[in-house]
Amino acid sequence: MRVANSATALVDLALKAGDSYSAAAVYSIAESKQKHQLKELMFGKRRDALALARWEHTPASVLEALCSASDDAIVVRLDKNQNTPTLAISKLYVAENQRSKSSASLTVLVAQHRHASLSVLKNIAQFEDDEASLLAVSKNLAANSEVLSILLDRFESSSILAALQKNISEHPSTSPQLLEQLYEKGDVYVKAAVIGHANCPLQLIDKALLEENVFIQRQLAADKRLNNEVISRLSLHQDKSVRCAVASNAIASNDVIKLLAVDESDVVRRVIASRLDLTSHVISRLMNDQDVWVRQKLARNPTVSFGVFDKLSKDLQADVRRGVARNPRCPVKLLHLLAKDEDYWVRSAVAYQHRTSKQLLIELADDTAVDVLSGVANNPNTPQRLLKKLTASAEADVRRGVILNPSATRLTLLPLLEDAYYLHRLMLVGNSKLKDKDKWHLCFDPDYQVRFTAFKYFAGHFIKSSS
Amino acid sequence: MSTILVIAEHRRNELRPVTFELISAAQGLKKSADDKVVVAVIGSQAETYTAALSVSGVDEILTIPAPVSEFDPDVYEAAVSALIEAKNPSVALLPHSVDSLGYAATLASKAGYGFATDVFIVEYQGNDLVATRGGYNQKVNVEVDFPGKSVVVMTIRASVFKPLEGSGSPTVSNFDLPAVQSRSQNKEFVEQGGGNDIDITTVDFIMSIGRGIGEETNVEQFRELAETAGATLCCSRPIADAGWLPKSRQVGQSGKVVGSCKLYVALGISGSIQHMAGMKHVPTIVAINTDPSASIFTIAKYGIVADIFDFEEELNSQLAA
Repeated sequence: MRVANSATALVDLALKAGDSYSAAAVYSIAESKQKHQLKELMFGKRRDALALARWEHTPASVLEALCSASDDAIVVRLDKNQNTPTLAISKLYVAENQRSKSSASLTVLVAQHRHASLSVLKNIAQFEDDEASLLAVSKNLAANSEVLSILLDRFESSSILAALQKNISEHPSTSPQLLEQLYEKGDVYVKAAVIGHANCPLQLIDKALLEENVFIQRQLAADKRLNNEVISRLSLHQDKSVRCAVASNAIASNDVIKLLAVDESDVVRRVIASRLDLTSHVISRLMNDQDVWVRQKLARNPTVSFGVFDKLSKDLQADVRRGVARNPRCPVKLLHLLAKDEDYWVRSAVAYQHRTSKQLLIELADDTAVDVLSGVANNPNTPQRLLKKLTASAEADVRRGVILNPSATRLTLLPLLEDAYYLHRLMLVGNSKLKDKDKWHLCFDPDYQVRFTAFKYFAGHFIKSSS
Repeated sequence: MSTILVIAEHRRNELRPVTFELISAAQGLKKSADDKVVVAVIGSQAETYTAALSVSGVDEILTIPAPVSEFDPDVYEAAVSALIEAKNPSVALLPHSVDSLGYAATLASKAGYGFATDVFIVEYQGNDLVATRGGYNQKVNVEVDFPGKSVVVMTIRASVFKPLEGSGSPTVSNFDLPAVQSRSQNKEFVEQGGGNDIDITTVDFIMSIGRGIGEETNVEQFRELAETAGATLCCSRPIADAGWLPKSRQVGQSGKVVGSCKLYVALGISGSIQHMAGMKHVPTIVAINTDPSASIFTIAKYGIVADIFDFEEELNSQLAA
């Protein structure tokens, strides 16, 4: 069968297939007469319409076409479906308000929907009284500072104020002015969230320096606008989470880092071991740390020297040796050593490592552990002939590794189009190494998800060509 | 008086936990105090399992010496067939395992016994024995009854029946294996790749990470958290595919079904159908995700709309307190 050469031909094929998922995949490219037929196919049976309204992959155009439905169950599914487009959500909200008995639970779904428009959110903030809907608006990332401000002003003396303050203090769109307002009126948790907010104004940082509460101090210690004196003071804080925040702060001085590298808390030293600005003195100290996680984090640190890699590659703990093998700067010489490690999880790290040579990957392909073989299958340095061999592996994980390998060629991938696992066929639909004629038969695959993905892929050609 | 026969399963000289779950299921099928639960154990060293099998709920243990130490489908089929003929049980319970798949259907079919597989509820409704199993890829529960069948063979799903506690004092006797010609030979036991990792199908507390963790370097802090909390760290498919955690830790359709899990904490997992196939049965699911519309919340008992890193930090400080 030849690949459809026009949108009309593709839609006709989907209609002929008689399956609602294939129809949904091509709906956006159909002409108006075909759209009518597709709607019959998709929504003719209530069960199909319900399934499409709920399905996470249903295209926005299909969900929009469904939004004129008067079926309550379908409306609920559309409100819940995060693919439902902005216009459809607005229509659903208007329709809901026009009903004699509107449902608060539907308004909540609209209020928390990521595609809810600003005007809908503003309307809910200004006129709705349902607490759950108002709180949903305050958490919705689509809300802007104006909407959030309306909520705070409107409910200044209400029982939901505390919950609103908490949500708005964490909302990324909250303006510096609103944050100031929240800091003045909020409890310690709100204040801590304000101090940790990306828009927190500097004057609030100064105010927070006078606070003793540990939650506020923790947020403060991570702020990059602090001066050395404050950072040094916080590095001596009795609460380890505050010291952890200092340890992760990019502006911490060498003296502070040196001090925290011998902190009594393992957790603090682990954070230090991940830093990219360690001095050789600190690295020497951490390399011999008694805590395995400290050494493991150091082994993953791309700034350490060959000597450190060499020592850690001989560590008694496999997690540390694996850390070396996963490090993007791990010396090739050590990869050869670690490829023979007794622990399969260390060998697996070598197999996934992009610095591993072809020859070493060929040797690792004789391993019996599926994680090692998956790594070989995933590695872009693996020779094509080996990848071809791995496409016949009995392990689905290994075959999937080949599919995920960016270096796998068309000839290598072709046999996997007939793979027994539907997910593998589905993943190959979007693979740019395969030609359209290779993928065409997937439109008639036994699995509905594969058919949907294939039809959607081919429909995409006609959307591009018409735009 | 009727007999309920249980076929014990063992591997590498160890009884598999499912055996004790079958004994619990068999106890539930006793209609009167006279009914007996008989456990049969087959193998070259069958007698070594009698002490372990002397648990509450077992009335009799039958040891069946066989020329093989590990499972052999022909030997088991001949042994269980002879046992059923000799003991005439009303029900024979086998684990729903790869071993039973090798002979249970043949056994039931040849003798015309009633048969049901992957049963997770078994009970008497009046005088009728009814087994419940999944259908249409576990989308519906199907009740199966067995009209006119005096013997019913069932394979029972693991991790469904809670093993009974306490010891018992069953009688122990020997049962001779009829002559059997095995068509297979056990040459070598090969552990599956990555077999020295923990078996996630047997653990009861899992913390599982998904795409929400962002980068590989973040995996370690969740390993630390799981270790501190006493949980086993697992993952969704993309994490294992990237080589960030072993395949043996992957939950879902491409990975494993966490049959024994009682508490599942899903961190940054959106909840694809494929992932949920491996964990949706868990009685207590806690989901943490920044997206309130994530599918995982539809099956979670407790949902937390939050950043998993904030959650991790807070839980760590709570655990340390």
